[in-house]
This record gives sequence, C-alpha cells and structure tokens, in this order.
Amino acid sequence: MSQKNNTNKPSQPEPPRWAEWLLTQITAPHLRDEVLGDLYELFQKRVQRYGNTTAQLVYALEIVLLLHPRLWRKQTKSTHQYPKPTDYSQPNPMNMLSNYVKIGIRKLNRQKSYTLINVVSLSLGIACVILIFTLVRYHLSFDTFHANQNRIYRIYTEFHGEKLTYSTGVPNPMGDAFRNDYNVAQKIGRIAFLPKRVVTISPQKKFEEDIAFADADFMSIFNFPLIQGNSRSALRERNTALITERIAKKYFGEEDPIGRLLRIDDSLVVSIKGVLQNLPPNTDFRSEIYIPFGNLQNHSPWMVEKDWWFSVNKEMQCFIQLKPGVLAASVDANILPAISNKHYDKDMAKYFQFRLQPLADVHFNPKLRGYTEKKNLWTFVLIGFFLVVTACVNFINLATAQALGRSREIGVRKALGSERSALFWQFITETTLIAGLSLVIALGLAYLAIPFVNQWFDINLAINPFTDPYLLTFLLGLLVIVVFCSGAYPGLILARFQPVLALKGKLSQRSVGGFSLRRGLVVTQFAISQLLIIGTLIVTNQIRYSQQTDMGFRKDATVILPIPNNKKSTINTLAAQLSEMSGVENVTFFDTPPASEFLASTGIRFDSRPKKEDFSIGIKSADYQYVPTFKIPILAGRNLYPSDTVREYLVNEATVKALGLASLKAVIGKTATINGRPGTIVGVMKDFHFKSFRVAIEPLCLTTWGEVYNHCAVKVNMANLEPTLAGFEKAWTALYPSSIYTYRFLDEEIDRLYKLDSMLLRLIQAFAGIAIFVGCLGLYGLVSFMAAQKRKEIGVRKVLGASTSSILWLFGKEFSRLLLIAFVLAAPLAWWVMKEWLNNFVYRIELGAGIFVLAILVTFVVASLTVGFRSVKAALTNPVKTLRTE
Amino acid sequence: MKGTQLGEFEEIVLLTIARLYDDAYGVAVVEELSQRLERPISLGFVHRTMQRLEEKGLVHSRFSEPIAERGGRSKRLFTITMAGEQALREARRIRNELWEGIPKTAFDNLL
Repeated sequence: MSQKNNTNKPSQPEPPRWAEWLLTQITAPHLRDEVLGDLYELFQKRVQRYGNTTAQLVYALEIVLLLHPRLWRKQTKSTHQYPKPTDYSQPNPMNMLSNYVKIGIRKLNRQKSYTLINVVSLSLGIACVILIFTLVRYHLSFDTFHANQNRIYRIYTEFHGEKLTYSTGVPNPMGDAFRNDYNVAQKIGRIAFLPKRVVTISPQKKFEEDIAFADADFMSIFNFPLIQGNSRSALRERNTALITERIAKKYFGEEDPIGRLLRIDDSLVVSIKGVLQNLPPNTDFRSEIYIPFGNLQNHSPWMVEKDWWFSVNKEMQCFIQLKPGVLAASVDANILPAISNKHYDKDMAKYFQFRLQPLADVHFNPKLRGYTEKKNLWTFVLIGFFLVVTACVNFINLATAQALGRSREIGVRKALGSERSALFWQFITETTLIAGLSLVIALGLAYLAIPFVNQWFDINLAINPFTDPYLLTFLLGLLVIVVFCSGAYPGLILARFQPVLALKGKLSQRSVGGFSLRRGLVVTQFAISQLLIIGTLIVTNQIRYSQQTDMGFRKDATVILPIPNNKKSTINTLAAQLSEMSGVENVTFFDTPPASEFLASTGIRFDSRPKKEDFSIGIKSADYQYVPTFKIPILAGRNLYPSDTVREYLVNEATVKALGLASLKAVIGKTATINGRPGTIVGVMKDFHFKSFRVAIEPLCLTTWGEVYNHCAVKVNMANLEPTLAGFEKAWTALYPSSIYTYRFLDEEIDRLYKLDSMLLRLIQAFAGIAIFVGCLGLYGLVSFMAAQKRKEIGVRKVLGASTSSILWLFGKEFSRLLLIAFVLAAPLAWWVMKEWLNNFVYRIELGAGIFVLAILVTFVVASLTVGFRSVKAALTNPVKTLRTE
Repeated sequence: MKGTQLGEFEEIVLLTIARLYDDAYGVAVVEELSQRLERPISLGFVHRTMQRLEEKGLVHSRFSEPIAERGGRSKRLFTITMAGEQALREARRIRNELWEGIPKTAFDNLL
C-alpha cells in the first residue's frame, strides 16, 4: 500500500529502494507503516540538511541500528489491537530464521555424536587451513612493503662453466660500472653482508651481530624508515652507522644511542648517526647494523680490491631501482652482456654473465639462496584444501545419511506450506551453525598451535582476526565456502522429499540420493589420506637416508670452533693447548668442514695440458690433520705434508674421472694449477659428500693454505664432554679476548643442510595425521549410521544362521572395496608427485613397492579398526532385541 | 510487577512525549531529544523505548491519517496515560528527596 503512493512523486529524492524493501521484509506488520514513515520523514529532512548521499548513508545506518528482535516480534497481547491490518500470511524471514536456529540447536543437541563428529572434523580442518593461510601469506608478503618494489632488482651472476651455477653476488666494481656507463637505474645500492661480526661497546660488552656495508642509496631504495637521525645524510659520512631500535635497546637500554661508538671486530670504530625502525619480520634483510659502503675498505679490504672483476662473493650484492618504463628484459639483453664484454676477455665474458632478479623472486629462488620455493607453499595450500575437502565430505556423508531420519519433520513443514527454497535455507542455517561453531573452535586451536609453528619455523606469527582484516575476510569467505560446499547437496536432497511419502515414512535410502555419491566421497577421503601417508613415508625415508647414510667421512663427536684470527703463532698455541687436554683425539684447522652448503670452486690446469680444464673444482683449505680427523680414506698416494702455503694437493676420485684418467695412480706426482697456484698432487681421496645429498659429488681438492683457515675441528671423546668443552672455552677466550666463544657439533651442522626438509616433514606428518583422523571420524559416523539402518537385516540374518564373521564382512567388503579403489587413484598420483620431489636429490632412496604396500596397510588397519569397532557391536547384538518390535 | 521500573532513557522519552503533547511520534521525539541531549540519537533506540513504554502501559498510541510527506504512511502518535504521569511524578519525587537529603557541605572541597 505504501509502496504504491511512493511512485507518484518521482521528483523528490527517495530513500534507497533496497533498504525499504529489506525493512518491509523483516519488520513485523503492525510496525511497518510507522517505521518506514518515520524513516522516510527523517530521510527527507536529512536530504535538505546534508544532501542526498549523506542521507542515503544515514538511512542505511539507521536500519542497522533498528535491528532488534522487537522489530520482527509479533504484536504482544498486552498492547491493544490497532485498526491497521496485521497481515501474517507472508512469514517474516527474521522470524523464520530464529525458528530455524532454534530447531537447528535442538537437533544438534539431540544428536550429540553427529554434532561432535562434524564439529571436530571441521574445526581440525579449518584450524589447519588458518595456519596454512597465515604461513603462506607471511611468505608471500616478503619484501612487498617497499615503495616501487616492482622496479627493484638484484643483479646476480651466472657462471657458464660445464654446468651453470649461480651466485647472489657480483664483482665489486659492478655497481660503479652500472652507474657510470648506463642511465637506466634511478638508484643503485651496493651492499656487503658480513655475518657474525663482533661488535664491542666496552671491554665487558661484546655482541655477535650480522652487519652490512651499504651505499646511501640502499636506504632510499628500500623502505626501512629512520626514527632518529637525518635520512638525507644517513650512510653518506664515513665511520658512521645506523642501527635498529632493537639493537639500540639491547646495547644502551634507555640511553640515547646517537653519537655512541661501536667497534666492529678489531678494524673499525663507527659512531651511531641514526636509529632505524625495527625490521619487519617479513624481510630477508636481517642485518641490523648498517655502515657506509666506503668503510668496507677499512674492514675487509680483500672484498673491494679495485677493479677486480674475477671474484664474486655471494655477500657482495648490488640492488638497483630501474627508472619507470625501463624493462628488466632489455637490461638483461643489452646492458648486462655489454658490461661482461667490456670488462672480460672473450672467453671469460662467456663465463661471467649477469642478470636481474626481481625483488619478488628473492625470497623464493633457491638457486639464489632464497628461503623456499613457491612450490612448497602451493603444496601446503593443496594440503589445506584437501583437509577442508575431507571435513566437508564428512559433513555431506553424515548429513545425507541422517536425512532419512528427519523425513517426518520435512513432511510436516511441506504440508504446512514450506517451499523448497525455505527448506533448503533451513538446512543451510543448520550448516552455518555447525560451521560457525567449528570456525570459532578452529580459531582457538590455531591460536594454541601457532607458538609451535613459530618454533618449528623460527618465525614470529600471530593470529588475531580482530586486528587482521585479511584473516577476517579469509575466514568469512572460508565460512561461506564451507557452508555451501557441505550444506548445499544435503539441503537439496531434503528439499526434494515428497511430502506424502515423507509423512508416511515410506522414504527409502534410495530417495536420499545415490549411495554412489557417498561412496565416491569416501573414496576421495581415502585417496587423500593415502596420498598424504605415502608422501610422509617417502619424505621420512629420504631424510633418514640423508642422516644415516655414510657421507664418506666421520662426523660424530666433532666440535667446531671459529678462529677469528688465523695468525700462525696463535693457531699453533691453540692447537698445542687443545691437543694437551684429555679427551681430545685430533685437532685440525680449515676453512670449510667436510660437508657445507657453499664451497668456493675454481678452475684447474692439469699437468702439461695446454688449456684449462672445462670443469670447475671445489677447493677446501685445511692442514694435514684434516684427513685423519675426519677419517677420509686415501685410495692412492699419501696425505698432505704439514705446510702453510699451497704446495701439495689431494684430489677426490671424481676429479680423476673428470680429468679422463683411467687409474688413480696416474695423477700422483703430477702438477696442477688450481686457483692460479701450482702444486703437486700427492694423493687421491675416496669420494665423500661434501655438499648435501641433493647434488652429485663433484671434483674436489684439498690443500694447505694457512691464510684462509677460519675454523678448527676437535675430535673429542664423548664420554667426558663437559670438562673438555669448558677447557676449550678457557683456552680459546684467553687467545681471543675480543671475540665471543661459540661452538657447534659437526653432525648438527650437517643436519642443518636438511633443515627445511625436516620442517616440511614435520608439517606434512601433522597434516597427514589430522587428515587420517578426520577421515576416520567420518567413516565411524557412516558405519554407525549403516549399522543403525541395517539393524533389522542383521537380526534376520542372525536368526537365519549367519555367523558373526559373515556379518562383519557385510560391512568390511564395502569399505575394503572403496579403499582399494582409492588406492588405485592415489598411488600413481603419489608416485608421480614424490618422484618429482626426490628428483631434487642426486642421492636418494628408491621408490619401491614397499612404501605403497605400507601405505595401504596403514590405511587398511586404521579403517578396519574404525569400521570394526562399530560393526562388531552391531554383529554381536542379540537379534531378539532388534526384531522384537516387529 | 516486572517492568514498572522506569529506566533513565525511558524517563527522558516519556517526558518528551508528555511535552510534545499531541504531536509525539517517532521523528518528533528523535529531533527533540537530539537537540536537547546534543548528540545524535538513533530512531531504533527511541522506537524500542516507546514500544517498551507502551507495553508497560505508560503511553497510549493511535494512528494518524496517511500523510504525503511520509510517503503516504501514517504516524503513530503517542499520548501519556495516567499510569505514565504517575510514574513520572514518582521518579521526580525520588529525585527530589535524594537532592534534599544531600548535606550542604557535600559539594564543598570537591577535587
């Protein structure tokens, strides 16, 4: 009635149509005129006062403020009847909603096990998804907060030798060459990262810190704001430093850090000129002390030898911000090759090539020391998806199985005029109740689990949907998806019931929708569980293989100490003191332990061959004790003689093979020029894994070269470790008073090569466990339901003489068949995926049938326990009980 | 009896209804109140209060003729009942008594 009059006056501004419609829908009939009229009048007044737009907004706001049960509650008896028509023929949706919620809560309350299974499986699934979302978003957000971040690139080096290798670093003159000769970059920031330097404030206060030497431009390329100090002069003046807030607090407490002095190692004293805001957790730049690049010459002159294009240090990096409109591809194609050609001769220009790496790639490129591959993130996203699917499948299965039980309710509702859509929405409301409850529980679970995840990954994430709009949006989206994925199908089934049949109780299992669909869903669940189980088994085996397989040298009970200063006399004193201690078996000095992630490699010229060999050879410098300490077998010739300069070389078998010689003896006594230094090859070592199992054993040589020793390994007797370690500390600190004592065990160091894999494994194990558990919950629910349905059938069978085992088989055959189908689907997929993963390792386990058999056995045992428990109960029921009622 | 207690906002709305006498309906009360209290008041809040007042029998309501300015809808006009007047007087009496009971020195030496 009111609507009709509205249309008569089109000239006047009208309140938003949708809002009026909405109000008409939800307002109780006896209040409609009043509320709409009041709002209309207010609206007209506001249009005159504040204009149309504001008035529309306020109108919407008023509606939100009107929402209250009083708005849709029926007229109370205490108030008298109005002359206005009170029309209840159209059910008020808000009233229906509260009815749905009420019925829903009663239903859930009555069927506790059904509710419990659904809530537990959904909340476990959602909790995992929340964790995965947080983790993935954290990694995707790395270094995305810099202004113009899509114009920031890092120049990296490709070595086109026999095999293509990469370095994150560039030769030190690269930055200047790029700046002086070309005009494509807005800003060029060179930076040298020097990990684990000793920073001294006073003789008593020393800290080990990662520091960086950076161009002033570096700070303007990247968004690390200063909270104290002048950003324009930052890093321009020599002998100054920027430190982060955290470091300032750690060093000086509440005192003002500006102007304070820091001594870096023993070579440099800088005064603090500025304080940077604490580094956000999502950046790969972890140095917290920045010193002008010009000062690098005072600290590590060997890193900045003038115009030295032939050495590439991975920590000497160069970041550029291109001018707008300059394409990275054209820089890659034209400018960087031109730089190579200008500064190298023809052969070397082919060997040293430079490329641009977008900032967004820095975190994700494992070839260039990125933290992880995006592939791993997508694996987690997929696992999260699987978990939600498993939980939704449970819901669909249980809900359709239960549907029959509510046929009477549906029949009554339909007879009273409920439409299909109303029934559908009723079911969706119930699903929302369960899913909403699960979401809240899941948030709680995720909140409890996040400290453990943080610990595993050594990060600091938080889950708080109230302060994190992305998480909130994600959760709401997830809720909608889960509700519709799991509620839509059972809702449709329910809404389709024929009222007459439903009321008579004549609906059969067939009318609640194909059992085949439910079978299909169970197969999906089994397949997902098996996929995860196979994955877990393979990753576990490979990691165990990496940790337990003989690497070709002895790695147990070996302590590694850093050597801050390798002056010969100091080293000798240390060696003498250490070897005198009881429990010490060997002492050796070297630059890299037998297995390490990175190793310098260089060219080799053998014997009197006219040209350089076209393979590169890894080089380790160590004294003559290295071979006996690590028990590296010598296959031919002898160990090195003691020396401090490069005189003799030990090579490994791979070198002999690469040189194309038939017998190991053939190299002995020959000269080789490696890294520009000639020496005699005196022996051949047995091949050992000097990098991780991901890469093949390549040519390697060992030589004495005292200048570069920076570590010391001590083989100790584990029986009496504590006093020995205390002795080390005492001797070491006496020799290096200005440094900080640390020690590590070699085997821990080697395990760190597989750190990411171990973390991956633990997560996959956890997720696989949850997937299996959720799947079992669903299975249990389904079997319980089947048992209830088949009560009479079982009774009749038993009366007619069926044995318990044959009744068990009634359940068993169904699930065994589904399990086998699932296996047929999962096995090839798992085989393919895991083959891809194992291809990352040169030394790997074989994908044998054993793992697959084990996987199916595990699922079979778990499934039969779940099914068995419930079906034994059904099979043992006395038939008298089940049949008596007939 | 449950509900005869007069809440603070209820009291203010009831007073406004009495004051507006023959023209007390939603919008008028909202405007009067926002002006006096110097803060925006939502219609929903006033509306619910008036419903409660009616349930308590403190006001009586009737519908006006449909009005064009309201999009052809009628107003619901409220008038105060005797019970309403009594409740207001009672509230006022309690307040007066409380005021009178305050010793003169109580407001001296305040922080």
